[in-house]
Amino acid sequence: MSEPTFSLRTSGRLRRRQLVSRAMGALAVGAALLAVAVLAIVVVSVASRGAGALNLDFFTKNQAQGFNPKGGGILFAIVGTGVLVGIATLIALPLGVLTAIYISELAPPKLARVARIALDITNGIPTIVIGIFVFAMIVEAHGQSALAGSIALAVIMVPLIARATEEVLLLVPSAQREASLALGVSRWRTTFGVVVPSAIGGILTGTTLAIARAAGETAPLLFLTSLGLSSQADANPLHPLQSMTLVIFEYSDQADPAYQAKAWAAAFTLMCFVLVTSLSAKLALARYRKKLGG
Amino acid sequence: MEAIRTRIDVSGHGRSPVAETREAVFEARDLCVFYGDQLAIDNVNIDIYQRLITAIIGPSGCGKSTFIRTLNRMTDLVSSASLTGQLRYRGIDLHGPKVDAVEVRRRIGMVFQKPNPFPKSIYDNVAWGLRILGMRKDLDQRVEKALRSAALWDEVKDRLGDSALGLSGGQQQRLCIARAIAAEPEVILFDEPASALDPISTSAIEDLMHELKRDYTLVIVTHNMQQAARVADMTAFFGLEVAPDESRRGVLVEYDETEKIFTNPSDKRTEGYVTGRFG
Amino acid sequence: MRELYGTELEQLEGLLLEEGQLVDRAIRSALNALARDDLELADELVAFDDEIDRRYLTIEQGIPSLLARQTPVAGDLRLVLAILYINLHLERIADYCVTIAKLTKLSHDLPRDAAALEALEEMGERCREMLATGLEDFHARDVRHPRALVDMDRPIDRANRKLVDRFVAFGTDEPQREWAMRMMLVSRCLERIGDHAVDIGEQTSYLVRGEFEEFTDASHPTPRPAE
Repeated sequence: MSEPTFSLRTSGRLRRRQLVSRAMGALAVGAALLAVAVLAIVVVSVASRGAGALNLDFFTKNQAQGFNPKGGGILFAIVGTGVLVGIATLIALPLGVLTAIYISELAPPKLARVARIALDITNGIPTIVIGIFVFAMIVEAHGQSALAGSIALAVIMVPLIARATEEVLLLVPSAQREASLALGVSRWRTTFGVVVPSAIGGILTGTTLAIARAAGETAPLLFLTSLGLSSQADANPLHPLQSMTLVIFEYSDQADPAYQAKAWAAAFTLMCFVLVTSLSAKLALARYRKKLGG
Repeated sequence: MEAIRTRIDVSGHGRSPVAETREAVFEARDLCVFYGDQLAIDNVNIDIYQRLITAIIGPSGCGKSTFIRTLNRMTDLVSSASLTGQLRYRGIDLHGPKVDAVEVRRRIGMVFQKPNPFPKSIYDNVAWGLRILGMRKDLDQRVEKALRSAALWDEVKDRLGDSALGLSGGQQQRLCIARAIAAEPEVILFDEPASALDPISTSAIEDLMHELKRDYTLVIVTHNMQQAARVADMTAFFGLEVAPDESRRGVLVEYDETEKIFTNPSDKRTEGYVTGRFG
Repeated sequence: MRELYGTELEQLEGLLLEEGQLVDRAIRSALNALARDDLELADELVAFDDEIDRRYLTIEQGIPSLLARQTPVAGDLRLVLAILYINLHLERIADYCVTIAKLTKLSHDLPRDAAALEALEEMGERCREMLATGLEDFHARDVRHPRALVDMDRPIDRANRKLVDRFVAFGTDEPQREWAMRMMLVSRCLERIGDHAVDIGEQTSYLVRGEFEEFTDASHPTPRPAE
């Protein structure tokens, strides 16, 4: 073979290209690291400041009476959050799922698009605005209550549940619907007997994510249930109840470092709850998607 | 010169006699199907006979899937689909105003190209529909009977609780057939039933069809001519016609006993299609 | 479409027609050998039969191969079957020619009768005509003259009967009688060749019309009523 008349070795232009390529790569890696670092910083700082104040009493006792802020716990707030989110879920879950069923199975395409846009807009409304709205509708006439808070939370949760549900409903292959209809099964029975059961994993996951989100909401609750007394254990939704987020807000405002420590502890607890819930829901959804698609 | 006609019976079941002696289950008269303004099938006149296997063959786009879906009103699922002309099932206009599509589909079942069992257990695949259709008595027996009729019982009787999705393709398709049979239809429609299956599963399904023919009227759409030749008693050839405005529509070119279609078709277009030599 | 398949069908048919021409030559040679009492020609004919057999075998093997690989249906299927049967008929005709050649050799030193030989020549020429017509009609897919072959067969039957009458009157001369018997066999061969030619015509009718029809032949002397 004769000597090649061209060379494939690195030339000046190639070197410049490689440099630029490496620089861009480095930038991208840096940005990603920064994003992850932010999360890490938040988690670490909350954990370090909050873990110290955690003890059994914290979870099982109410706010201490009198002037001794040490001791006692936030049981009241935990119960309050539970009631608030629980009732909100009871309202939002059927609403969200049925809305999704309407959009994906029953609506003519134009109406479906309108509904989807409405949900997206609702999703984007600042939660404090939602809070004011519910305040005007309910609290002005009836006073504060956990129910009002739940309604506000439900408004926040419905778009999340509906969108997640719609996504998994679309994943159910149309062949399933055809098979059921061809048997002589009616439309609605097909939807609830075949399509929804197939999508149930995704629906539950979406709901879990919505719950995690709702548990962390503060702004709407400010108007609606902040008068809850920390001294009593109360679970009546018609009364205003405390919530963990409000506790964080109030305690962090206090001068007494004991209160502040409790605020950090509450923040830590809430953060753990949200992290664990969100992560496991996302994992479950990924596995479920693979099962449906495979 | 006298022509001696001999018809040799090799099927064992008795080659079905000429169709005139059979009752017509479906009668189509001047049936046209539109998608929006587009004519998809033009002027179909055909009688489909009881307890025979009728195959519908033709090139892609000739409307065979559309036609078979008019038989059980699955065309309703396409919002732009509309019909003119008449399609009678045992004398009743299938697409008439008072006719309930759900009732129609109880009597006329369908098996699809790609097996589509429900993501439930094998037992529940058959039983779910039965429960909904109000056939709850003796559920176990009904399920067993359906699975036996679909030649699947022996393979699954010990694992009825297992997920249907764990079965092989051929088994899943037989499960779909069992599911359809359990509802006790009178007619079973097959839309390319074996095109997604390997040759051995295909043979099993074809043998099954011969058995089913004793009790049900079968209509199958297939793009595999050899399958139509093997399985069907009557064959309908749908061809493509190009209109002056270049739009294409399906027409029924020839409909006759399968033997005739494959040994001596009357229409040149049929001959061209079955020999494969003129597209 | 299916170019290869179409070409294969054409080749088979071409080979068949070639074989037909060879068989026609064989009939002519057999008649010549008989008329001239030519032993050399008779031997050549026997060797020539191998040529015919080669084509016969090629077609015989080509047909199952084509059936398996291309699954012919409708008109193509009927064509393949027609080729199959015509091939068989041609081979039988060629065999009869060989038989005639052998009979020619066996009757070499025996006294010959001119009138009988003339009758046999006429039968032979009729056979050639029938064969040519049958194969032409096959190639042209022509069924406009279905009775033609049957009509052509009649003179052969008549000639055969004339021969019988003639030989019956031959008397007691032994060599003469031996010759007569051999010639009856030749006549029988020619009659069978005629029947095979009629059968070839039947194949054309099946090919074009798609229905089996049996024409009258030696086994059904009474013509059936026309349709």
